[in-house]
Amino acid sequence: MKDILRRHSVLQDEVVDIINKQIKMEAQSSAAYLAMAAWCDKAGYDNCAEHFFKQSDQEREHQMKFFHYLVDMECDAVSPSVGDSQHEFDKLRSVFEKQLEMEIAVTDSIHDMVRVVRKVGDIATEEFLRWFVTEQIEEEYVARRCLELFDVLGEDKVGLGMVEERILDIEYDAGE
Amino acid sequence: MEITKEHIYSTDNASLHQCDESEIYELSFSGDTVYFRACELITFKRKIQKIDLATLLSSETPDIEIIHMPHCDRLFALTTHNILELKDLFAGAFTMLELNSVIHKQLIRKVI
Repeated sequence: MKDILRRHSVLQDEVVDIINKQIKMEAQSSAAYLAMAAWCDKAGYDNCAEHFFKQSDQEREHQMKFFHYLVDMECDAVSPSVGDSQHEFDKLRSVFEKQLEMEIAVTDSIHDMVRVVRKVGDIATEEFLRWFVTEQIEEEYVARRCLELFDVLGEDKVGLGMVEERILDIEYDAGE
Repeated sequence: MEITKEHIYSTDNASLHQCDESEIYELSFSGDTVYFRACELITFKRKIQKIDLATLLSSETPDIEIIHMPHCDRLFALTTHNILELKDLFAGAFTMLELNSVIHKQLIRKVI
């Protein structure tokens, strides 16, 4: 009997489910960053707003990478519904605190996915996830550096002005 | 040319066959026959597996669950008994299909 199942189905159900869950998480993160960008823009922090607009675009790119992977593997990719995002913050630092919390949650989720694909022996998906593991090192680094600016420069008007000046210069050099 | 259908699994009122020639699966269920490509069959199976019978039975309309399969433009109105039977059919059928994959991996593809 021909092995039709293997010819048309590459990923196990459990792997499809966790990738769809991650697609939803990335979509939720993208929406949350948009809300943060809106708060910053409204409060007059244009560079911080630009930083969060970029973050939102990045999360969308991550979502699409996962989405295309499922489609390419002939699996069901679910376009997710996204819930409400937090639109109000008490101060600029709180927005960046939220960014770090979100990035840590995404990192934990990606690591959980790696554990699942290792458990089921899905070597191809483990290799696919390697890019996301590396990407999250950068994302967490940037989020921490943003918060460190507040520690170093303070949170009075001059300090916040300098945070605003420097926020777009933060880059991860991968230890170089 | 005669097209042969391979029997995969049966329950009292349902059976699943596959046609090697067309790579189509044939689901016979309660006197009805529906054809699926592999990815459509997996989608249908996932929809059936995700039906939570405990939630269904405690809902206001516990008798019927509606499943839409766009590939054949069909609405399946499934009773609790139907759902139990399909869950049983797919559990058995996919075990057989996975066993077939293992046989191909260990015996047939290794020879190639």
